[in-house]
Amino acid sequence: MLHGHHGELTVGEMLRRHGISRRSFIKFCTAAASAMALPPSVGLAMAEQLRQAPRPSVVYLSFQECTGCLESLTRSFAPTIENLIFNIISLDYDDTLMAAAGEAAESARTKAMQDNFGKYVLIVDGSVPTGAGGAYCTAGGRSAVDTLREAAKGAAAIVCVGTCSSFGGIPFADPNPTGAWPVTAIVGDKPIINVSGCPPIPEVITGTLLQLVATGKVPDLDEHRRPKVFFGNTIHDRCYRRPFYDQGKFAKSFDDEGARNGWCLYELGCKGPTTYNACATLKWNGGTSFPIESGHGCLGCSEPGFWDKGSFYAAQSAAAWGKAGEVSPRQVLEVTATAAAAGAVIGAASAGVSRLRQHRSEQHGIGRESKGDE
Amino acid sequence: MDLLSLARGPALKVALVVFCLGVTWRIVGFTLLRVHRDLNKPRASIAKFLAGGLITVGSRSWPHQEFIGRTGAGEALGYSYHLGLFAVVLLFGPHIAFLGSLFGVTWPGLPSSLITVISVLTLTLFLAVLFRRVTNPVMRMLSNFDDYFSWFITMLVIVTGLAATAHIGAPYQTLLALHILSVDVLLLWFPFGKLMHAFYIFPSRAINGAILARKGATS
Amino acid sequence: MIRLADIPVRIEPTPLVGGLGGGVPAILSELASLLERLAKAEEPAAIDLRSLPMSAQDRVELRRALGEGEVQATLTAEGISNIRETRVPGVWWVEHHDRNGELIAELIEVTRMPLILMSATDEIASGASALREQLAAAAAARAP
Repeated sequence: MLHGHHGELTVGEMLRRHGISRRSFIKFCTAAASAMALPPSVGLAMAEQLRQAPRPSVVYLSFQECTGCLESLTRSFAPTIENLIFNIISLDYDDTLMAAAGEAAESARTKAMQDNFGKYVLIVDGSVPTGAGGAYCTAGGRSAVDTLREAAKGAAAIVCVGTCSSFGGIPFADPNPTGAWPVTAIVGDKPIINVSGCPPIPEVITGTLLQLVATGKVPDLDEHRRPKVFFGNTIHDRCYRRPFYDQGKFAKSFDDEGARNGWCLYELGCKGPTTYNACATLKWNGGTSFPIESGHGCLGCSEPGFWDKGSFYAAQSAAAWGKAGEVSPRQVLEVTATAAAAGAVIGAASAGVSRLRQHRSEQHGIGRESKGDE
Repeated sequence: MDLLSLARGPALKVALVVFCLGVTWRIVGFTLLRVHRDLNKPRASIAKFLAGGLITVGSRSWPHQEFIGRTGAGEALGYSYHLGLFAVVLLFGPHIAFLGSLFGVTWPGLPSSLITVISVLTLTLFLAVLFRRVTNPVMRMLSNFDDYFSWFITMLVIVTGLAATAHIGAPYQTLLALHILSVDVLLLWFPFGKLMHAFYIFPSRAINGAILARKGATS
Repeated sequence: MIRLADIPVRIEPTPLVGGLGGGVPAILSELASLLERLAKAEEPAAIDLRSLPMSAQDRVELRRALGEGEVQATLTAEGISNIRETRVPGVWWVEHHDRNGELIAELIEVTRMPLILMSATDEIASGASALREQLAAAAAARAP
């Protein structure tokens, strides 16, 4: 399915040119397979398959994004084994990383798309604005919508990196002034994989890409098109603070006694129970920690619409009907008092009707049936 | 909008509005009804009149000696599950967070494992209550839609709550949404059925007690 | 910052999935069957230790049960990897670390020799031609 046109050099030869030995590559694939809970034999098979294959062509398009997703992948103190992915793929276009600029860069992109039509992997980060005819995000005089539609035509598969391209992210949040949409709303006829997260964990990005280019097949996806192997469990399912949740030991405020003892952060707004991601197992920065371990509740950043789901610091069981999903006791008082006032009026009216009927029945004489209102 | 946001958001708002409106309607409705003036000479002072009212609220909390044999079990059952429900609703961490978000005050709660035990006991008692209603011929004859539906909606709240805490049967998000939605339906139903006894029993007993005290009788 | 090890909670290991029961005897039993299969059909296999929720105690017990064999190999490729044959022939304990020393994979391989240790056919061929070139260049440099 995916064969690049840089067919003069296989992945293995390319790696060797960069001083990356066959054994390093086997290590990388073994580690990646382990992270994806695939059997070790699959890791070996991936390594062998890729080494012989020509380098798959990849075009990376960035739209309304903060570049956090790319930073997640590339920023590290020392070269990590994840960065090997850049030696496997042929990254034919990435406006942040490539050396070329302007016309040269754009023509490199169009050439790569032409040469590898139907075979390249399209990676997208950032949401796509459609307001004002798409004018809110333009590069080289073309709107993001048009660029995406054109690039999607020749793509073998599309990988949306980050919550913005997967679900709309920040630009999509209320009131969405630019008319931003996720990629799935613009492109309908290609296999799309959503690697969501704000940003996604680097190993999740590389693991998904590796599996895609090595097997040529789209992995098992959940109903939001996220790879089930990474997004199949909630943070809550794998959280090490679960015993505290089960015992009802909740931290009440940041840095209080409970927080210092590592108690559950449910009351401080942790969205772990409803968030699907691999943070609790893979963790961040090469397994250093993840938000809950560092004392802050999960924001739910890999879920659709997480910016509009209420305060990050209100418990999941809290009421959430106001703007941006919050409600204050004052608002509650206003609403309920108004309702009560209305109820009192109706009550008084019904009591009035009842009294009227009694009065009328007395007028007509006690014992005779009241005819009521005729 | 996903189910959870709907349950915690617009559905909750509507439920609270209907609840407040309905409850106030009914309370104001009966309070402003015409009172039949008692033309008898009062047999007790005003103080005894008022005291009689207050005392009756307490004295009618338990059946008279003669009736305990027949109604004692039912009363005990009723009290037990009421206590269980109050404990779970008011002393469980996430519930306290919910009520705190509405009213701005919080209070300490019980360990979650204890709450689970109480919930399961309450659930069992609730099933026993339905069993009694259905098997006892008098109760079966007297029971109507109101009785069964009020039982059903409260039961739904308990069951969905237990499922959500145990994380069984569906993804947590769905379970939590169903639990909050069932609470919303409970609030919607509350003013129109027998659940209003929560607001009626105290005035009802007080008024009856006061009237009887005025006549010189005890209750 | 509170570390996991500082929190006084004992987490009970849950039963393992994928055909293995809880604890070391189950893993050893699985290894025995895999070895039998290797002996009969020359089919290698591997168990990813990170896919099994083993406690530190379990790991120590497993190491002790398998013991140390005669072969210890250190692979230096994008970080150190330790490949050791255990007391049981055909059972190799493999640890892969990255350049920062972080453990990135740990497996037990049931095989004649882990594939990662063997030299590859295509590399051997290109190695041979590189050596010939080197010899030729050295000879040319010595010639007057």
